[in-house]
Amino acid sequence: MKIAYNWLKDHLNINLNPEVISDLLTDCGLEVEGLEEVETLKGGLKGLVIGQVVSVARHANADKLNCTIVNVGGDKNLPIVCGAPNVAEGQKVVVALVGAKIYPTEGEPFEIKKAKIRGEVSEGMICAEDEIGLGENHDGIMVLPDDAIVGTHAADFFNVKSDFIFEIGLTPNRADAMSHFGVARDLLAVLKHQGLVDVNAKLNEKITDFKVDNHNLNIPVVVENQEACPRYCGVTITNVKIAESPDWIKNKLRSIGLKPLNNVVDITNYILHDLGQPLHAFDADEIVGNSVFVKTLPSNSPFVTLDEVDRKLDQNDLMICNQEGGMCIAGVFGGLKSGVKQSTKNIFLESAYFNPVFVRKTAKRHGLNTDASFRFERGIDPNITMIALQKAAMLIKEVAGGEIASTPTDTHPENFENFEVSININRVNALIGKNIEKPIIKDILNSLDIEIIDQIEQNWLLSIPPYRVDVKREADVVEEILRIYGYNEVKIPQKINASVSFTQGLDFQKFKSSIADNLIGLGFNEAMSNSLISSENIAKAKIVDENLLVKPENPLSAELDALRPNLLVNALEAVRYNLNRKQENIKLFEIGKGYILNEEKYSETRFVSITVSGNAMSGNWKDNPQPADFYFAKGVLDSIVARFGLNQHSKFKVLENTDYACKYGVDYNWRKNNFAFCGELNQNLLQEFDIKSPVFYAQINLDLLFDLVKNQKVIVSELPKSPAVKRDLALLVNKEITFDALKISAQNSDQKFLKSVDLFDVYEGKNLPEGKKSYGLTFVLQDQEKTLTDKEVERVMDKIYTSFKANFAAELR
Amino acid sequence: MLEKIEAYLKEIESFSTSSKEELEQFRIKFIGSKGLLKDLFDDFKAVPKEQKKEAGQKLNALKNSATEKFQNLLNNLSNQTESKTENFDYSRPGTPINLGSQHPVSIVIKEMCDIFSRIGFTVKEGPEIEDDWHNFTALNFPEEHPARDMQDTFFINSESQHALRTHTSSVQIRVMENEKPPLRIIAPGRVFRNEAISARSHCIFHQVEGFYIDKDVSFADLKQTLQYFAKEFFGKAKIRLRPSYFPFTEPSAEMDVYWGLETETDYKITKGTGWLEVLGCGMIDPNVLENCGIDSKIYSGYAFGIGVERIAMQRFNIPDIRMIFENDIRFLNQFKSVI
Repeated sequence: MKIAYNWLKDHLNINLNPEVISDLLTDCGLEVEGLEEVETLKGGLKGLVIGQVVSVARHANADKLNCTIVNVGGDKNLPIVCGAPNVAEGQKVVVALVGAKIYPTEGEPFEIKKAKIRGEVSEGMICAEDEIGLGENHDGIMVLPDDAIVGTHAADFFNVKSDFIFEIGLTPNRADAMSHFGVARDLLAVLKHQGLVDVNAKLNEKITDFKVDNHNLNIPVVVENQEACPRYCGVTITNVKIAESPDWIKNKLRSIGLKPLNNVVDITNYILHDLGQPLHAFDADEIVGNSVFVKTLPSNSPFVTLDEVDRKLDQNDLMICNQEGGMCIAGVFGGLKSGVKQSTKNIFLESAYFNPVFVRKTAKRHGLNTDASFRFERGIDPNITMIALQKAAMLIKEVAGGEIASTPTDTHPENFENFEVSININRVNALIGKNIEKPIIKDILNSLDIEIIDQIEQNWLLSIPPYRVDVKREADVVEEILRIYGYNEVKIPQKINASVSFTQGLDFQKFKSSIADNLIGLGFNEAMSNSLISSENIAKAKIVDENLLVKPENPLSAELDALRPNLLVNALEAVRYNLNRKQENIKLFEIGKGYILNEEKYSETRFVSITVSGNAMSGNWKDNPQPADFYFAKGVLDSIVARFGLNQHSKFKVLENTDYACKYGVDYNWRKNNFAFCGELNQNLLQEFDIKSPVFYAQINLDLLFDLVKNQKVIVSELPKSPAVKRDLALLVNKEITFDALKISAQNSDQKFLKSVDLFDVYEGKNLPEGKKSYGLTFVLQDQEKTLTDKEVERVMDKIYTSFKANFAAELR
Repeated sequence: MLEKIEAYLKEIESFSTSSKEELEQFRIKFIGSKGLLKDLFDDFKAVPKEQKKEAGQKLNALKNSATEKFQNLLNNLSNQTESKTENFDYSRPGTPINLGSQHPVSIVIKEMCDIFSRIGFTVKEGPEIEDDWHNFTALNFPEEHPARDMQDTFFINSESQHALRTHTSSVQIRVMENEKPPLRIIAPGRVFRNEAISARSHCIFHQVEGFYIDKDVSFADLKQTLQYFAKEFFGKAKIRLRPSYFPFTEPSAEMDVYWGLETETDYKITKGTGWLEVLGCGMIDPNVLENCGIDSKIYSGYAFGIGVERIAMQRFNIPDIRMIFENDIRFLNQFKSVI
């Protein structure tokens, strides 16, 4: 919202500079987001003066140009080459001097330079209306009335003013400050509290001598929907002359960025920004039947608004109607037909208080946001309706002529009553955390037009004017006191006020952090992606059924039309993004949510994704790079599992289908809970994402893992008293035999001494029989109590080997 | 036998060398498996009983002397070898240990949570798909109130009134409904706004919400906690509060930190004012407490919410918010340093 400094001065006598005012406004809750110096006309006509053409002579080398001598004050005569056909001796004209910057109505600004035009010196320019932003006319140079004084600055002649504009970021609760009057009212309270004005200072009130001239045009008003329209005032003005507004009105509107239209419309806009009361002027001759009805129309009634858009009304849209139909969407937007036109002679002026909720619903329904609806939906002052109407009517009469031709109608002649709010001063001060003395509180309340009507010790009963729609409770009053007293005047205590709060068990944040730290330590970059992705990509990755997806009803775009069910698509997109930028060695992890609609319930699951492509370990002068493979991804996943103590008990299961878009891989299970998987992504899937290198992917269900591990504890076992014995076996087995199967078989054949089984060598090359591979296994045997004898070791190893032979037809190599 | 030992002893004592080869010959000659000592020990078996004691002692002394000599010379030799390695290139890169990096948003969230945890706040999270009650109504956004326009919302299901939460303030309601005061909570999380993605705004971002509800919690307490945060996080102790408006707090404020105007960047990030806008805060609106079954006549509380991305962008000088969610490795690698 734009507020002009000079306009504020209409309401308040101040001589503080705009920067000071700006800070005061911000401190009391009207945040000044910007302070700008503006001219009512761009460029302010700087460097332009009034001149008189002394002589005109044909240019020797150009048919259409004249060489003129122009007097610009005193004995200063300038040679100016002019192309306008209407230039003539004796004319009073606007001259742009050398160095002046010109702001045309259309096009870029330019600077006037001393020039030689076809051999003739030219020191300035005689201006046309559109060349200096004063209008659209380009028929020739502007010829001024004879009484114009040569040498006068054009800015003075055209009454151009400079002003300061506060751009206020108005919060929705401050309906009281949606006008220059409202801002001035709040500013006055601050100035009083700070001792910058006298405590009895008042806003300037211009008393309007409202007078009815005759009763030639009475237009009765019938409000059918009282709830939607608690107050409606109207008056008629006959025989007005629609014309341009006087400079002072145009300048005021221009200063806050509005384009003047004609005197009547400009005055309604002026009153809106001056007092905060939106007005609407109807062409009275368009009011069929000479009466106004405030009512709703059947749904789907057609209506053409001022912007020439055909609209279909809703049955809850409040309309201002004549006997035939709608003329205006109440409080939102005027109709094409009923408004003030150049030919309008008689007007009906409306000033009303419409229900904020009705206006808001209607404005939203039609996608309209006007200066009027902005104010109505926040709630204007219901007691200013008639005052604003009278002020506007008198101003129209003054500016556009005519007579006030009816007694103003008012459907709610008595004032709307103040609210009563009771407060307890002790509680107020306790909430603030500082004891503000009662007299100070009293002064602040008074300065805000809040009356203390009853006072029993600490309990005060307050009467609050209805324009303060946001002050209804004690807490609201606290804000009122505090924003005038100063938020920054409340001292910060030395000691902290705290109570103990507890967390039980493993904290999820710590759990999450330790996973992140672990992965970062392993060389992974943490990624973070948009939860909104494209449902098309989800379908490509075949993650879940379409009907399980959670989709916004109003997506930003087709590319962001669904919430991710898990992190796979984000991982693929990140790989593609980096490969496209020649970043081929990718180790990423992301911790984030997946979202699913499950049995009509929305569920959110936290996941960790681990994505590897290119080199898992970079090479250097002594080591070769280590390309990423399935076993690297699996090792990373194992390290996380081990971090939370599940390594001894987790079981793998080979992925049975391509649910996870994996070519192959394993599931991780613990107590029958499948909490993670790991695999190489399918070629087909990668192709869909234009990825040409292999990608290895693991994903942990973090919520499930958290549940599984939150009660885990480290329990130290007794250290063995004797050394362990290591034995190796080099086995020849069929290719389909897995390490896991061998391990389980070994563990089953001896539970007493066998501590671990590991794979130290794999050979699948030449010199082996068809269909065979060689696995080198290491066994660690140990007895807690004593050193194992060779004999005992041999016996265990025999048992293991026998089981290998029996189960897998394994042979020693 | 004894003379032999004496002679060898002398030979050993006088032996010295700086050559590896000579030392190796010495080893073979005396201590090697076919060396002189072995021979002597073999001979020792034939020594008459009464001489055995003396001979044994001498023989052991000889053995010790030879071993010691060898060891000393070997040590000398290897010391020399090292100091003499003139062409050892210390500057070759060390074995590369691949370093990962934490995401800037995570860095900032973690730091904020740590700062508040230190003064006794507990971390909580809440769902991102929220119903109208938790995201708006309970937070005192009346239906059909202009305050609802302050946040562009992604609606998930208008029938069941589910939407993507527009702020982490919904966690306040979640916690208050399930737990009794005193509550001192910090709630980091992802929020959504239906806004076009540009250099300055994104449809997702993160907030860190904090609140404290107990008897006698005041506006002054809020200011103190925020000043503590400003000092810890930014290293700046000067703060100011400006009145503002949020439906769920009354009074409401925005907090600025005094950043100074020493450099051009200071000018840029503070728009020439020296003040950096950091967070929104206020005293929890009594309606919000009552909506969650907490008696607002007995309890009061404060709440604040910090936008993470804006602060991360300012701290790390990130020019475009989109970079934060693109996962470009060249960008992520810049956060290897934890400083």
